[in-house]
Order: sequence, then structure tokens, then C-alpha cells
Amino acid sequence: MAENNKKSRRKFLNNGLKLGIVAAIGGIGLSKIASKLSAQTEEAHSGEKMELMTADGTLIEVDSSEVMEVHNVKNNEDNYDVREGIPNRKFVMVIDLAKCKNARKCVEGCQKGHNLDYHQEFMQIKLIQDNPLAEPYWFPKNCMHCDEPPCVKVCPTGATFKREDNIVLVDNERCIGCKFCVTSCPYSARIFNWEHKAKFDDKSQPYSPETNVPGATGTVTKCDFCPDLLRQGLLPHCAQSCPEGVIYFGDRNEDIVTNGAETVRFSELINKRGGYRHLEHLGTKPNVYYLPAVDKLYELEDGFEVNEEVKERYKNVPYVKELKKQGKI
Amino acid sequence: MKSNLYNHTFFISIIAALLLCTNGIAQQIDLSNYSMRFVFKTVKQADNTRLLEVSFIGFNDNDRKDKIPVFGAEIQFLNVLNDEEILLGSSKTSKEGTAQLILPENQKYVTDEEGYINLKARFNSTDALSEEVADIMVKDLHLDLNLSEIDSVKTVTLTAFTVNSLGDKIPVSELDVIINLNTMLSKMNISEGTIIDGTYTFEMTESFAGNTKGELAISAVIEDNDEYGNIIQEKKVQWGTITKQVKANDHSLWTKAAPIWMYVVLSILLLGVYINFIYTIVNLVKIKREGDNIKTEPRKNYTVY
Amino acid sequence: MDIQSRKRELFKEFAPRLETTSLATKIYIGFLVAIILVGIYAFYLQMAKGQIVTGMRDNVVWGIYEVNFILLVCISYSGAFISGILHFFHTPWKTAIARIVEIITVLSLLIGPIYILLCMGRLDRLHYLFMYPRIQSPITWDIIAIITDIVACFIYLYLTFIPDFAILRDHCEERKIPKWVKKLYKTLAIGYQDTKTQRDRLHKITRIMSTIVIVLAIVAYTVLAWIFSLTLQPGWNSTIFAPYFIVGGLFSGVAFIIVTMFLVRKFYKLEKYIRKMHFKVGGIILLILAMLYGYFTFTEYFSRWFSHKEIDTNLLDALFTRYFWVFIFANYVGILVPIGILFFKKFRTINWVTIASVIALVGIWLNRYLIVIPTLETPYVPIQDTRIDYIFYSASWVEIALSFAGVAAFLLMFTLIGKVVPLVPMNYILDSHFTTKKVKQKVNKEISE
Repeated sequence: MAENNKKSRRKFLNNGLKLGIVAAIGGIGLSKIASKLSAQTEEAHSGEKMELMTADGTLIEVDSSEVMEVHNVKNNEDNYDVREGIPNRKFVMVIDLAKCKNARKCVEGCQKGHNLDYHQEFMQIKLIQDNPLAEPYWFPKNCMHCDEPPCVKVCPTGATFKREDNIVLVDNERCIGCKFCVTSCPYSARIFNWEHKAKFDDKSQPYSPETNVPGATGTVTKCDFCPDLLRQGLLPHCAQSCPEGVIYFGDRNEDIVTNGAETVRFSELINKRGGYRHLEHLGTKPNVYYLPAVDKLYELEDGFEVNEEVKERYKNVPYVKELKKQGKI
Repeated sequence: MKSNLYNHTFFISIIAALLLCTNGIAQQIDLSNYSMRFVFKTVKQADNTRLLEVSFIGFNDNDRKDKIPVFGAEIQFLNVLNDEEILLGSSKTSKEGTAQLILPENQKYVTDEEGYINLKARFNSTDALSEEVADIMVKDLHLDLNLSEIDSVKTVTLTAFTVNSLGDKIPVSELDVIINLNTMLSKMNISEGTIIDGTYTFEMTESFAGNTKGELAISAVIEDNDEYGNIIQEKKVQWGTITKQVKANDHSLWTKAAPIWMYVVLSILLLGVYINFIYTIVNLVKIKREGDNIKTEPRKNYTVY
Repeated sequence: MDIQSRKRELFKEFAPRLETTSLATKIYIGFLVAIILVGIYAFYLQMAKGQIVTGMRDNVVWGIYEVNFILLVCISYSGAFISGILHFFHTPWKTAIARIVEIITVLSLLIGPIYILLCMGRLDRLHYLFMYPRIQSPITWDIIAIITDIVACFIYLYLTFIPDFAILRDHCEERKIPKWVKKLYKTLAIGYQDTKTQRDRLHKITRIMSTIVIVLAIVAYTVLAWIFSLTLQPGWNSTIFAPYFIVGGLFSGVAFIIVTMFLVRKFYKLEKYIRKMHFKVGGIILLILAMLYGYFTFTEYFSRWFSHKEIDTNLLDALFTRYFWVFIFANYVGILVPIGILFFKKFRTINWVTIASVIALVGIWLNRYLIVIPTLETPYVPIQDTRIDYIFYSASWVEIALSFAGVAAFLLMFTLIGKVVPLVPMNYILDSHFTTKKVKQKVNKEISE
């Protein structure tokens, strides 16, 4: 069968050469697909098999990382400096709290994209109550990529750094695991790899601080705004996965943010909807903005229709206790 | 170009090897439950090249969410006139089940008497999959995007025409068009309208930041038109109102380099302390030397005070 | 009595302890080694399996390692501070305790930083601190401060040892002391013959080093406090943290010295040198420090309670519910009871002062615990997790084993040093006899009380 494939391939090549320019252009087309292919496999991870059907109706399972290895040329292009970032960009995120219903798709998409365990969350969804009379709301919280990042200030080795494009990353090949950054982050955005995991040994994907994959024992990791996707013009995993379009992402220089379905002006969105930043008074100058949870699209109770374990997490919030007493959840 | 082809060969041979080694787990599936979807579309892109794309995916009849892309199927793209078929090129479907072919701007097509290009995509049957054919008829439409300031009003003028066999430009009408602002991650719809008598004009009253060079990328899109298919035209213009952000201080608490005074203070402190250490050690050496001298001299009855 | 014969006499007095090791001491050393071995096994486990074997998790990323680190390093700094003061001001009663204080300083400065290393996830990358230094980081400052302080304390300790090594070298010949120890004395005495020039030179540099040691102790305390107070966390972000740490550190240091004095006096039969007077003076210093420390503690918590920021309130709620008894012991019993004991003259006896010191030591360890852990359990963004070990911290056996191993290592090294050199500096005794006659009379008067 393989021989057949090769033969037909050769035939195509011959044809191609005969056809001259047309085939050559075809080649370009194919190489474009190839780069697209590599782009998509970065999302999927090794160890993950994907089902494909071949032309003769056979179902095959391909380990996505094997396909990617051949085509991983993207990162080597034009002296790109991971510590400098994507030139001329200032990335911002806007999270529309009015639309969030705790579907947790952002959490799952992020975990899949960064090869995280079920309990490791770059994106966490908190239940926040502003005052005792207000109804609580769902509050997706990732790293704020602050302009005055307390974590970067205290890092003794420069393992965590802030780039020109606003993104704060962790280089787990430089991190010594002192955890000072974890204690200095007021947003609890950082998590630590407490033990060794088999997935850390999988070197099929070359490590980059931009993907945080593969992880390393005894080092710190956190939300990275997915610069690998941004460089391909794609939204971060969380924004891509959100079914409600809660998460807007974009470039502050361009003053445009998008949630995939809708593209709006960043400044207009913030001004008209009363956008704010979490814990503004601390002076960390975050780059994640929130639109207040007014005129919510979903009932708070809808958010509890996830699994029991997730439901359990919020049991100590006074409002939830009250709801439980009333039998509403 | 050669290297492109070479890469491609390599890729295919890897896949071939892969197929060989995964033979063990490869399984024949019951295709009766699956209906194959073979979708063919064409886009005339901003650089006037034409993209031909086929998406070839099997959908489970009982469970629409269960879909299996067909991988590595060779799709032939043809230009058809009556019974004559001209092979434009062929390409294999990717992991997502899509095969693409990009044709250059100067590609010659045969057209019928009404000016339609008949395009056909074909998958030749195999033992398991039956032949799939899809065709599209499109007219070659030319879009001209003109961005200029008329009486200091930023004006987007779009002209659309076809070219007949004599080379004359024939304006088209009743064509829905969307004007987008293209940004890094998405397109923003800034105007929608209809082309009448070959032109569409739109005055841009809103101002946008644009990229750091002050450029706006504006595109005109015609989507899924019965006669012309998909056409995209794009241009950049210096209409951006961006105000350059001030570059942050290079010497701050979170940059690589620290504020200058920190270096100064730390150096002074360390120098002050370590000079004293050295002074102490020098004195210790002197004490030792004196002790050594006493030892080598004949022992006198020395007094302490 | 001339100085040479007095030296011989002193040597005779201290020599037996250097010569023989009793069975009880051997058993005691064996016991300490056993504890250390358990600690080494715990360390091996942590290295092999990662920090998952500790009680630390994503919210509480620093545990009792950090607490031990603060306590030991603070004891060391206060040891340096006190011995610097003792020397600098020619304090008459330095004679008996100076060496003990200096040994405590160096040992706790050697063991303390080990705990911060245990807290690190990647010990194999320790050298990155020097390869990629960032001088904005308080950790970098702390590392510079600790290293500089270790160097300074070693030099200072050595300077005070030189005349004793000279005496030991001159008089050890006729004794059955192992050859290598004799050789060690000879090398370390660096040909010190107690001539006038040598003596003056040594006095001059000892005095300089004593000043440096005092200054470094203050700097090091401050930097240690800054690791906490420069962050934004509730309970840490406090302007008085640096002086608070200095006072608290001195308090714990003095208490620790008193306890050590008590033990040394008892087991080394040094009642002749370490007298009631020392405990009395130590008790008064401890009383003053306890009042200062209590004042700082009260101010710290009172201003948080009064201003009532939400985030501080959460912390105080935790302290007064989950940590109620710990809080009571750390900040009421640990401060008020020592004050109560030491306030009355009739309680300033050897035993009572030691009891007050033990209470103070336990109290300050708990106080450090309350500074580190509850803060990490009450972050700005509520935790909302279901994994109990991620919400509350409790030390695992590995951490406890390593904590005791540190104590054992301290005692073992102290014992071993006591086998090589006398724990009371002979040259200071000579000093007080021959150089400062006036002071001597005064001291004699005081000692004979």
C-alpha cells in the first residue's frame, strides 16, 4: 500500500514537472496547507491520537505530534526573540462578565491547549460577590499580564519576564522554583509543578515559554496569552473555546478586540460598558479588563449545572449556602 | 520552489511510512453508516490568485457530531468546457480533509460563450469510496479598490467589472459587497452595500487607529455569489490615527536592567564591607609573618608589655 | 601570678573535656546522628519525588521551612549583633558568654539557609542565581546579605579564637590530645605569640569586624523582612516589618542564648564562669526586648484591625478562628508570660529566666508561623477549591523530620566544637585579669554577688 502511495506520488511529481508552473504553484498551495497543518497540531498534543480515514476507506490513528515534527519550521523564522515578543503589539483581554454562565469551556480549552491536568487551571472561574446585597457573578480569572508585574519584580533569575507586547511569560528552563513570584502575585495566577509527571518527558514538541509545554518539575507556570496562536493570527485557547463570546482579545495599538464572532473597538467597549480592572487600587496595571456583570444573560443558578465536583467548590460562599438552603441548587 | 516540492515529498513519504507501520491498528470501518460530504469552493484572493478548495469529510448518519476527515485522498482540479477537461493540478487532502490548489493570476482558463469558467473537482473512486465530483461555474470578476481622500473625506471606492473576449471592461450591477477593516486577529465590518453600475462608494467617517505605521488594511469581500463566487480585494492606506505609545522605562523594577541608583547603592555597600574584610585578612597575614619571624629567631626572653 | 602560669592553669582546667569523651556523650552524639539520618532520608524523598511530599501546595507555597529559616537566621543575626555589642563596648561580662554567642551565630547561619534551599523547587539550578542575577529581587539581596554575613561571622569568630588557639598550641604537648588536633591548633594559631604589636593589631581588627558584624546584622534583618513586606499580601505588606523583625529577632536570639547558656553551664560544669549574674542581665535584656516586641506586635495587628481593610479582615478572621489558640500562645502567652516572670526581681533566677526564655522561643516560632502561613491561605482572590490540602496547610512528616534534623545538626556541631575548643574564651579571662584592672575589681564585685 505504501508502495502504491509512493508510486502515485511520483506520478504526480512527474505530471507536475510536465505541467510546469501550474504544478509548482500547486506545491506552494500544499506547503501552505502544511504550515496550516503544523499550526493546528500545536493545539492538539502528543499522546493524543486522531482518527482519519484514508482514501481506501481504512481508519487510521495518527499521533498528531508525529505529523507536526516534520513541519515544525515555524518557530525558526526571522530571529524572533521570545523575550521581546511580537513587534508593535500591546495585547489586551476584555472579559464580559454579563455573558459568562460558568460553562467552563475556556478552562477546558486552555487545559487541552497547554496539556494541563484536570486540577491545574490557568483560567479559573471564581464566584465573586461585590457586596452582601448584590447577587454574585461568575468571574473568569487568568493572569492579568500586568504593566507593573509584582511577580517579575521579585524574580531572582529573570525566569519570568515582561515583553514589549504586554505578555508576561515564565521560562521553566530558567526557573529555580523559589516560588517568590507565586507569593507576590495578588491574583493567585501562578501554579507550581509539585511533582514529576510523565508528560514532562515528552520532548516531541520543543519547549518554548510561549506554550509552556512540556512542563518541568519544580517550576512555576501560568497563563501565557497563547503567543504561539497569536503569531498565526488566532485567538488564545480560552477565547476560542468560549461558546458565549465572553472573552475578547486584541491589540491595544489597533484599538480593536474580538471574541471570534464580533469585532469591536477596545476603547469604545471599555468606555460605554464601564470596563474596569480587577484590584485596580493595587497599582499593578493589569491588561485584562472586565465589563461589569450588569443585565446578566444567564441566571446564576445555570452555572451550577456542571459536574458535582465543580459545584462543591463554591459551597463556602455565603450566597451559595443560602441558595442550597432554599433548594434552588 | 524546488525545496518546497522536496519538503512535500518528504512529508508524503513520512505519511506513507506511517501508514505502513500503523497497519496493525488500521481497521476497516463500516462505511454504510457514513455519508460523504464533498464540498468544493473557489475564492479569488486579494493578490488575484484563485484558490480552489475541497473539503472531504465523512459524517455519521446516526450521530452528526461524529465526523471523520478523509486523509490523503488525491483530488484533481479541472477546467471543463463541454467534454474537454484540462487538468489544473491536483492535491491531497490534509488531516482536516481539505485539499487546496492556488492558481496564479496569469492562469488561463477556458470559458464558455457566456464567460463562465467551469471548474470541477474530482476524486477517483477507490475500492471503498465511490467517485466524488463537484463543479462550480464562476465568471471572472475584477475588483478594483480605490482609497483616497476626496474633499478631506476618506472615501472607499470599489469598482467591479468583467472583461469580455474583446478586452472591454463591462461594469456589473446588483452585487452585495462587504467592506472590512482587517486587523491582526479578525475583520471588522465597517460597511455593507450593493454595487450599482460597477461602483460602490463609502465615506469613512469613523477613524481607526490602524497598525503602528498608521496603516489601515481595508478589504472588500463578495461572498458566495451565484455568478462570481467569492472574491476578496485588499489595500493598505495611511489613514490610521494611532498615537504611538510611550516606550516604558528600560530601568525599572520589572525590566532586565535595574534602576541606576540600585547599582550604585549596592556597589557602595558591598565595596565598603568587602574592603574591610580584605583589610582584616591583610592584618592577619601581618600577624602571621611576625609570628614566623619570632619562631625563626633564637628564642629570646621577650616581655609582653 | 604571671600570665604564663595563669595560662597553664586555665589550660589544665579546660583540657579534660578536650581529651576524653564520656559514654553518655557518645550515646547523645549517636542519638543526634540518628535524627539527622532520618532527616537525610526525608531529604532524599523530597529530592526524588518532588515537593509533593511536603504539605506545601499551590496556595500555601511556603511552609515551616520558611518559618525555620526566619527563626534561625534571626537568631544568627541577633547573635552577631549581641557579640558585636559585647566586644565593641568592652562589656565586662562578655567573658563567659561571648564564645557561646559566636558559635550560635555561625551555626545557625549555616543551618538556617539550608531551609530556604529546601523550599526551592530546583536545587540543581542554584547557580542560576549567580548566572542570571536580577538585582531588583529581594531574594538576590538576601542571598548577598547572607553570604556576606557568613563571611563576616566566620572571620570575626576566627579572630576571637586566635589567642585561645595560641594557648592551646603552647600547652597541648604534654597532653594526650590526638595529633591532628594538635596540628590544627598550630595551623589555626597562625604563629600568634601575644607580642605587643600582634596583640594591638588583633584588637584593632577585631574591633573593626565587630562593627561590621553589627551593621551587617541590621542590614540582613531588614532584607529578610523585606522579602515579605515588599509584596502586596495582607499581613506582609507593612512598613514596620523591618524594625519588627529586628526586635523580634533580637528577642528570639537572646532567649536562645539564655537557653544555651543554661545547658552549657549544666553539662560543661562552667558554673564558675557562667553565673547567676549573666542570667540576671540576660533576663533584664529579654524583658526590655519582650516589651518592645509586644509593642510592635500590638501595633502591627491593631492598625490592621482598626483600619479594617477587607483583605486584612479576612486574615484576622482566620487568625481568630482557625488559628485562635496558636495566636493566643504566640502573641499573648509568648510575650506576656515572659514579661510577667521577668518583671519581678525575685523571679530573675537561673531557672525562671530559662523558663521564660523557652516560652519566648516557642512563642516566636509560632508568631513566625502566623506571619507566613495564614497570609497565604487568605489571598485577594478567594481560593474556592475542593482539595483540602490546597486550602489549608499542614506540615508533612518530611518537613517535621527535616526541622528536627536541623536542631540535631545544631546540637551536634555545637558539641563537636566544644570538643575542640573551650566554650569559655581563655584569652578573655586573661584580659579581664591583667589588662583592665579597674574593671576587674568591678567585675569581681559583681560576680561575687
